[in-house]
Amino acid sequence: MKMNWQEKLLGTGMVLLLTVSATTAGAQSATVLYKERIVEISDTLADASELWIKPEDLTRINDFELKPQGACLENLCVPVLQDRDSDMYVTRRGQGWFNMTGLADKLQQAWVADYDDNVFSFGVMPLERQSFFRGAMAPDFELSDREGNIVRLSDFRGKQVLLLTWASW
Amino acid sequence: MDVPVWQVIYEELQAENPNFEIISVAQDTGGEADAGPIFDAANVSYTSIIDVNHQISALYNLVNVPSGVWIDETGRIARINEGTYAQTHMNGAFGTDDYLPIVRDWVAKGADSEYVWDADRVQDSIIERTPEAERAQPAFRLGGYYFQNDNDAKAEQYWTLAQELDPSSWNYLRQDLMYEDGGSAGPEWQQRRQEIESAGGSYYAPLEIEQNN
Repeated sequence: MKMNWQEKLLGTGMVLLLTVSATTAGAQSATVLYKERIVEISDTLADASELWIKPEDLTRINDFELKPQGACLENLCVPVLQDRDSDMYVTRRGQGWFNMTGLADKLQQAWVADYDDNVFSFGVMPLERQSFFRGAMAPDFELSDREGNIVRLSDFRGKQVLLLTWASW
Repeated sequence: MDVPVWQVIYEELQAENPNFEIISVAQDTGGEADAGPIFDAANVSYTSIIDVNHQISALYNLVNVPSGVWIDETGRIARINEGTYAQTHMNGAFGTDDYLPIVRDWVAKGADSEYVWDADRVQDSIIERTPEAERAQPAFRLGGYYFQNDNDAKAEQYWTLAQELDPSSWNYLRQDLMYEDGGSAGPEWQQRRQEIESAGGSYYAPLEIEQNN
């Protein structure tokens, strides 16, 4: 019995290539900007618009960790199916790849990319500001002072803080 | 401008209430070279940060400098989004003497100060951003990355994009203009400011000193 082309593709698993945008082209590096971090990623899955990374690079970018139940940060987990290809996760070149920009979109985190140089810049995650917009709580931040010490607003609990911005320009 | 003034105030208010802290954050892409000497000249002892990516303005939805936020002992915001000069400058050309007295009142009385806002008032004062405007910060951050890597063409491309995405931000406009011929307070800035003010708007976030009680 002759199989039609769809059955043939299904039989070889190739139909999956048609359903997700990530391709199987060779290694491509990327640079990711998030908060003060500049993370160099040596190998990504080439894609026209999205950033697909190895799961271990996720934590270097934004502290999320890919677990069986999904991409997790503290108590929050964004579900990610890993036993088959999806819009968030695919298996290529013998290993899994995670859709970094897909996670940002799910978190409604703004991002901008320069596709010529493969530089991806990610903005503030709304989940960090829920109690700012509902509850008037000051969003925490982590920045280095001029001596190189890490300053976190959360270290100022018990203090009355006057937070001032200014500029030399 | 007020960096040395705040140092004097900090010493005065800390002597009164050791729980009072100032965190002063320079929104300066040029980093230490631009903002460092100003902090140094004032011998600041309060927490001083140079925020090259304007992260604090992005996080607190601030669009101009100077801006101030009061944060109480529990991390709750007590006032936000105000043009917070410590004193009048240039014979009243800008700045105000009205702000410092309310800071003093807050440091003395804490939550009982009549200048502390309730959560609703704080909420009303937080600038809302569209999803498009939220993309301005990562665009600005990308421009800053290229600026650090001496790619001026791409820095300009993404700084321009940031201004298009969030036209309300004077910070993105003036940081960019600093590297152009007219400078950050040149003709383009003056024209934009006049447009805002002649339309009845205000360039600095207005300071409203009414008492709660």
